[in-house]
Amino acid sequence: MGCSSSLPGRSSGRLGGLNSSESGGVPDAKNLRVKLVLLGDSGVGKSCIVLRFVRGQFDPTSKVTVGASFLSQTIALQDSTTVKFEIWDTAGQERYAALAPLYYRGAAVAVIVYDITNPDSFNKAQYWVKELQKHGSADIVMALVGNKADLHEKREVPAQDGLEYAEKQGMFFIETSAKTADNINQLFEEIGKRLPRPSSSSS
Amino acid sequence: MLLSLLSRRSLEVDSRDAYGFALRPQQIQRYREYSSIYKEEEEERSTKWKDFLEHQAKSVLFYSSAEKFSEVSQVKTTEEKEEAVLQRGREGDDSGCIISDCDVSTECNTEKEVQLSKGAKEEVQLSELPGKEVQLLERPVKEFQLANTHRKQVQLSQESEKSAQLSEESEKDKIHSKATKTHKIQTWAQVRPSVHIIENMMSCCVKKRQKMKEGQISASRDHLPSINEIGTSGGDSVEDVDHATVKKSEDNVVGKMVSSETLFSWKEELESLVHGGVPKDLRGEVWQAFVGVKARLVESYYQDLLAIESNVCESKERSNSFRVPGKFQKQIEKDIPRTFPGHPALDEDGRDSLRRLLIAYALHNPAVGYCQAMNFFAGILLLLMPEENAFWTLVGIMDDYFDGYYTEEMIESQVDQLVFEELMRERFPKLVNHLDYLGVQVAWISGPWFLSIFVNMLPWESVLRVWDVLLFEGNRVMLFRTALALMELYGPALLTTKDAGDAITLLQSLAGSTFDSSQLVFTACIGFFAVTEKRLEELREKHRPAVLVVVEERSKQGRVWKDSKGLASKLYSFKHDSGVEEVFNSVESDGVLADGDKSRPETRSSNLDELLSGLTVDSEVDSLPDLQEQVVWLKVEMSKLLEEKRSAVLRAEELETALMEIVKQDNRRELSARIEHLEQEVAELRQALADKREQEAAMLQVLMRVEQEQRITEDARLSAEKDAAAQRYAVHMLEEKYEKATAQLAQMEKRVVMAESMLEATLQYQSGQARVQSSPRSVRNQSSGVESPRRKTGLLAFGLGWRDKNKGKPSNAEDSGDKSVNDEKDSNIA
Repeated sequence: MGCSSSLPGRSSGRLGGLNSSESGGVPDAKNLRVKLVLLGDSGVGKSCIVLRFVRGQFDPTSKVTVGASFLSQTIALQDSTTVKFEIWDTAGQERYAALAPLYYRGAAVAVIVYDITNPDSFNKAQYWVKELQKHGSADIVMALVGNKADLHEKREVPAQDGLEYAEKQGMFFIETSAKTADNINQLFEEIGKRLPRPSSSSS
Repeated sequence: MLLSLLSRRSLEVDSRDAYGFALRPQQIQRYREYSSIYKEEEEERSTKWKDFLEHQAKSVLFYSSAEKFSEVSQVKTTEEKEEAVLQRGREGDDSGCIISDCDVSTECNTEKEVQLSKGAKEEVQLSELPGKEVQLLERPVKEFQLANTHRKQVQLSQESEKSAQLSEESEKDKIHSKATKTHKIQTWAQVRPSVHIIENMMSCCVKKRQKMKEGQISASRDHLPSINEIGTSGGDSVEDVDHATVKKSEDNVVGKMVSSETLFSWKEELESLVHGGVPKDLRGEVWQAFVGVKARLVESYYQDLLAIESNVCESKERSNSFRVPGKFQKQIEKDIPRTFPGHPALDEDGRDSLRRLLIAYALHNPAVGYCQAMNFFAGILLLLMPEENAFWTLVGIMDDYFDGYYTEEMIESQVDQLVFEELMRERFPKLVNHLDYLGVQVAWISGPWFLSIFVNMLPWESVLRVWDVLLFEGNRVMLFRTALALMELYGPALLTTKDAGDAITLLQSLAGSTFDSSQLVFTACIGFFAVTEKRLEELREKHRPAVLVVVEERSKQGRVWKDSKGLASKLYSFKHDSGVEEVFNSVESDGVLADGDKSRPETRSSNLDELLSGLTVDSEVDSLPDLQEQVVWLKVEMSKLLEEKRSAVLRAEELETALMEIVKQDNRRELSARIEHLEQEVAELRQALADKREQEAAMLQVLMRVEQEQRITEDARLSAEKDAAAQRYAVHMLEEKYEKATAQLAQMEKRVVMAESMLEATLQYQSGQARVQSSPRSVRNQSSGVESPRRKTGLLAFGLGWRDKNKGKPSNAEDSGDKSVNDEKDSNIA
């Protein structure tokens, strides 16, 4: 890796090539290991989704994420493959986007989260989709997630909008609630199903 | 400060540490283990610091008395200015947000000055008691400060209400402001004179820095007039106040420079104290001293910022220059409940302080505004010191220590990550190789460490200890040293990990349980002493161009992103083959975004502008300016590549030397191993020799004993031989005797035979005689026979008996008589 790896942001275009070694296309087709990055506006509940998925907890007053934090979780799919998600939960504030390439580079999965009660966060999600299409890995699996689905009385982004946008971009779409745990596991299972299997494709 | 008192009360909750922060359940046990150690350390360091401060206080009293005068005069002037500002504020309120301040009545001013001089006199009295202040216990000081903060808060809330106040209240207000002022001055004076000296010294550094960056500072202050132009028209005079005070204190500093040289010797002492940690009770004050709050402080600046903010909110005025704080305000509101959630001190009041502090900073430095992580810093500072002090400390940390770190582009923080990675490669090549192999980038982990200054990454005791040193050093060196120390401590464990996820999880959890804060700080400061600011600066210079290029690239994204990149990226051989496709893609997605924008024109308008301009430039892809740009770009790339090459060569050299070193070390190690082996053998041989000798000695002893025994047996033999000889001799003698005896016996037998024959003969003779003479003989016998017949019969009977025995035939008395004669003869002989 040498010099090149010490220059993070600018290598964004090249990393599709390095992907297989980095994103953990483990040769074993039964035990996948994937790098997953969560992106989205501040306060949409990225950390809460991860905590719900990994620890089964929900804390309405969780801490601000500075930089990024890491957690991992393994799930078993129906076809008896296991998927170990190495999850990078990034900071939401706009300026931390400058550091995001460090984390989404080489990621096999990107989960882009918005808050269904906040249209701004939906715009921000679209920004991230574009950013990843430009700079992410070529075969990255992307999911668009509308979080805080439990607050439907405050909903400002119709589920239809999310679905349409996701379809147009060829993404997987789901609405979740970290608070009630709705669709959290389904989200990750669905991602697991959509992962390219090392045997069939050369990732 | 108020917060810290609050927190002290409600600390005893189990799952929180001594600072009131929540502990992770899995770490409670370990925290308990360490809490007694912390207590011991705390006691130790508080006595150390007390000694140090007392000592300094004595030696420093001399200086302080000289300085006092100038300080007092300085205070006086700032008071005047503050008064003027307040006055202005009041009048502004009267006329409803739009203020003309030039007409501050001179009368009013003079009147105030009289009052002020009274205040100043009080001040002199106060400051004339430094000796007593030294002796002040910590608790009273705190109570004082509590009172101050309380009053200050009152003042603050009153200020926010000020807009509603009428002019009739101006008199009251004046008194009030005077009151707050005097005790505000007390707050600064209450810093113990000894801490005061630290403060002065640190202030010198701050001043020097400020002088160097004077241009920069005035630039950063430029926002003030712009705010004030809208808020109040008196902004200029505020600006003047800033400069006046800064200049004044700079003059002061020049005077102090001389003394600061003599104070240099105790800086080392102080440094070692700081490495040992600052006592809890002193931490707030000492940190302020380190950051140089005193030198930074501009009277009423903080209040002005808050007043502007509240004015704007009141009037709902939303002009361009206020949009930016508005955006930050949103983010601040989001983050306040997410700052140390559940901390007992961050109740309603605490959160209000936090909000004010962050908003004031965002107004103070719009280039940074508000950045996530600052909420934690502000929270910590509020736990340790009054609100305004916390503001100035935050200003110091953000503007000096972390200049360029939390700005929109976060350039310096990215630069620092590259620098850190290089240091890692230099110091822990093996570990970095392993991480490379796993596909882990060091910056993934160290990035959050640096950005949060380890808050939430390490246990609290360790965080505060790192901050102690960091603030003392006055730069970011401690960040690097601490991160390197963590790698040193946990690198060996990381080497055992098998995949990226495990490595990162392990490092996170290990770092999170670094309860041994002293070990961490000492490893950092001593182990990585060679990592200095100078070295870091060099490395930053080296890496900054790369970051700048990326940042520029990103900022261009909306505009000439594709084509500027097209050629250049081919040059540095990055995959970028789908240029045409991407143009289409981006146009398409831009279109989508534009659609979105239409529905929300207000929020997205700036973005749309950018996009539009981008599109127009896109259409001019082949035009000249672009070519020029490309040339510039290529030049940059070229220089960058050259630089890279140079650094690669350098690194290769470094690696080579390192390799040589390793080989040498290996050889050395081998040799030393062999030597060791040989030595061991020698030792073994020696041991064997010693054993042999011992055996020999033992043998000798045995031999000697045997010899002795032999000698004894010989002796015994000799004596036995002698005995034998003697016995033989005796035997011989006995034999001789025996022979003699047998000879005699034979003789005796011969004699006995003779005597027998004689006896027989006599017997025959006697019988013969008796037959011849029977009667005569009786006469004769009678005459002589008184004795002879008795004797004759006795002898005769014996001899006959003896003869009978010998012949086995008791034949007659003649034998026995004969025998008895013989017997008599034998016994005579013996």
